[in-house]
Amino acid sequence: MTKLLLKRLAQGTLVVFVLETITFFLVRMLPGNPFLGERKLPQHVMEQLNALYGLDQSALVQYFNYWKNILTQGDFGPSLVREGMQVSDIIAEAFPVSLWLGVLGMGIAIVVGIPAGMLAARCKNRWPDALLMFAAMLGICVPAFVIAPLFGKTLGMHVPGLSVAGWDNPLCAVLPALTLGLINAAYLARLTRGGMLEVLSQDFMRTARAKGASVVRQLVVHALRSGLLPAVSYLGPAFAALITGSFVVETCFQVPGMGLHFVNATTDRDYFLIQGLVLCYGILIVGANLIVDLALVALNPRLRSQGAA
Amino acid sequence: MRLYDSCCQNDLHDRGGYARLAPVIRITAMVALACLLTGCGEQKSSAERFAEAGVLLLGNNSEPQSQDPHKATAVADGKIICSLLEGLVRPSAAADGDVLPGAATSWEHNEQADVWIFHLNPEAKWSDGTPLTAHDFVYAYHRLLHPQFAGKYAEMLYPLQNAEAFNKGECAWEQVGAKATDNHTLQLTLSGPTPHLPRLLLHYTWYPIPTHKVEALGGMLDRRSLWTRPENWVGNGAYVLDGHRFNDFLSVRPNPLYQRANELKNRGIRFLPIVNGYTETRMYMGGKLHISNNVPPEMLAHAAAKHPQDFCRDPYYCTIFYRLNTARPPLNDLRVRRALSLAIDREALVGKVVRGAGTPTTTFTPPGAGYAVKPPAQAPTQAQREEEARRLLAEAGYTNGKGFPVLELMTTSRDVQRVMAETIQAMWEKVLGIHVDIRSCEWTAYKAAQQNMEYDISSSSWSGDYLDPATFVELWRSGGGNNCTGWGSTDFDAALAAARSTGNASERRAHLQRAEELMLQSQPILPLYHSQRTYLRSSRHVGGWQPRLLDNFPLDAVQVKP
Repeated sequence: MTKLLLKRLAQGTLVVFVLETITFFLVRMLPGNPFLGERKLPQHVMEQLNALYGLDQSALVQYFNYWKNILTQGDFGPSLVREGMQVSDIIAEAFPVSLWLGVLGMGIAIVVGIPAGMLAARCKNRWPDALLMFAAMLGICVPAFVIAPLFGKTLGMHVPGLSVAGWDNPLCAVLPALTLGLINAAYLARLTRGGMLEVLSQDFMRTARAKGASVVRQLVVHALRSGLLPAVSYLGPAFAALITGSFVVETCFQVPGMGLHFVNATTDRDYFLIQGLVLCYGILIVGANLIVDLALVALNPRLRSQGAA
Repeated sequence: MRLYDSCCQNDLHDRGGYARLAPVIRITAMVALACLLTGCGEQKSSAERFAEAGVLLLGNNSEPQSQDPHKATAVADGKIICSLLEGLVRPSAAADGDVLPGAATSWEHNEQADVWIFHLNPEAKWSDGTPLTAHDFVYAYHRLLHPQFAGKYAEMLYPLQNAEAFNKGECAWEQVGAKATDNHTLQLTLSGPTPHLPRLLLHYTWYPIPTHKVEALGGMLDRRSLWTRPENWVGNGAYVLDGHRFNDFLSVRPNPLYQRANELKNRGIRFLPIVNGYTETRMYMGGKLHISNNVPPEMLAHAAAKHPQDFCRDPYYCTIFYRLNTARPPLNDLRVRRALSLAIDREALVGKVVRGAGTPTTTFTPPGAGYAVKPPAQAPTQAQREEEARRLLAEAGYTNGKGFPVLELMTTSRDVQRVMAETIQAMWEKVLGIHVDIRSCEWTAYKAAQQNMEYDISSSSWSGDYLDPATFVELWRSGGGNNCTGWGSTDFDAALAAARSTGNASERRAHLQRAEELMLQSQPILPLYHSQRTYLRSSRHVGGWQPRLLDNFPLDAVQVKP
């Protein structure tokens, strides 16, 4: 197990390093620079700004300086567009919002998606199955930029306490979390149904029924552990994506999370902020995948024996 | 037998499952009830709650770049800075373009209007109690113009004598025309007659900064200084910075040491950086805002029908136009440029695409500030204009568009710009028989291409920094940084120079009109319409508000009613 963990950690570190390196050079190849605005800056001002932030040096020198500052001083650099703010401050302010929303969204996705998938599998090819899978297909097909304004307009404006958008009271999180949660619940329901169907047709399930186990016991104790494997594989990256924010949901509900930064930093060419966000996202994805791997090992004894071997 | 029962039979017989689920159902129901009750307790909307507290909720377009007047460039920044700092003069709440004494109690100038003396209020203080002096203004101008500071908006101070040379590192600061003759007297020497200086001074680049605070937190040239953080903020405006959360809000509260603190009409402002006009309009309708910033064209009819008392459509000092790259054939031919202009049905464009949020135009500077330019002569009906356009194109050698190269029309990715480009593309195809390709770019790539003149036709807009036609006409001087069309004319430059050299306001205006007419005759641009601001303002909660061409109504004069 320790060997597996170390191996995955080494792989993850390499992935994050390569990701950050590619991002570093790619963003500098984009047309324009962080200081372009409505007005054209005089040449001497542009040169001075580039010199101030070290952007007048070669990309390779900038790259080494970037890692040097991170590793020696823990400095992820300044925002080049919102001057005076540090990348670490921006992420530290936005990440807790996205994390909270992501945890809520994932909670809703799990509470709705997994039971729905179990029920659909249990009632295969009958009306509950058709109804649930139709709803799941709808959740997958209808994009967030349709669902979010619809929720805002219908629930946000008419249900007391809920908020159409904004982030000025705790209940403001309900609709964005619901949007994120239901979209992910749709995927989870389909994956759980698939996984459960495979398990429900196996011999040990027949044995469970034969010995008189209740439906809940059959599903939860006997089938769920194996039936959840596809859903758990999906949960890791989905969770990392959720807690790093969604541009569409954050825009539609005016949530001060990370999703907005991902898009705005790229269009603004805020080099250090893009790199900081990619680093953060990369670490979360690698971390989430590692947890999924461990969870799969815990759920699947065959993987455990492979890991040990 | 039960072994082979269908699942439904199993469900029917198996009560144990339901029994186990019962606590879960009970807990879920309790949580739902608690949520509902919590929700029911919250009857008042944010707009009502903040109105009761006297705080204005204002949609402010985007997250501010900075509260430092020397680093900010966006309109959203300007609104915040103007509530936190006060210049020598301040805008009047009574009439557009009028100025009132601000930090200066009085001022005078010489006959040529190139030397101005401002007398500061000796009682004026920064919000930490430090006296405000003329040296703070000189320090601010020194900082913005300092070559090593790299102020993006340093050009705004170029009317000061030798300011441009100092900014380019060509002379010493002592030669620049900004002097504090004593603690309360500021003398500004300008490079030429500037009768409109008070209107220039309304722009935040002319505001003071707290020397003592900036020096204590990094010094004059430190661009990463933290003096604008709420915990460090010191200002001389009506408000002080209270709180700021990125992409969420920026709040200000009254400055108790402000010299007119007793005239404040509200107890604070909460600026909300809502970029998306659809989200913002929904938020307004859901009781989250007192004044919104922008209603998108698609929602205009809905907003006007649902909130007829609140819906506002005000003239704005901004022009939407297309730049033509006159360095590239066939756009280097005046006949082609005229033909392209005449073939655009501006009435239809504004009516159908922009949904009335503008005034069709063939001139560049929007009317206002006592200035209006005569539009170029053209046929009275669109059909006649289209006929003329075909004739001009044929004269240029492209009868019915034959042999005309495929040009590229560059726009940003904003919806309204793309739809406008498609409409004009169709108009040119129908009237002239020519085809243009549309290139939709994201913002930075678009600006880079435009500033490097890597385009044929570029969708553009320009909004004034101050209420004077020079902020528009100066754009087209030969080789000007924002010209970006390759067009230049010695006659135009001479008219502009004549405008700069006179201290007589009406003569100056006549020279500017002459310059603009010369530019319009050469048609390096296709003016389309003068913008209007469409937004929602709560008639119930907001009083004393008046539209302003620059959208710079003094927010301290906005009354918030419960």
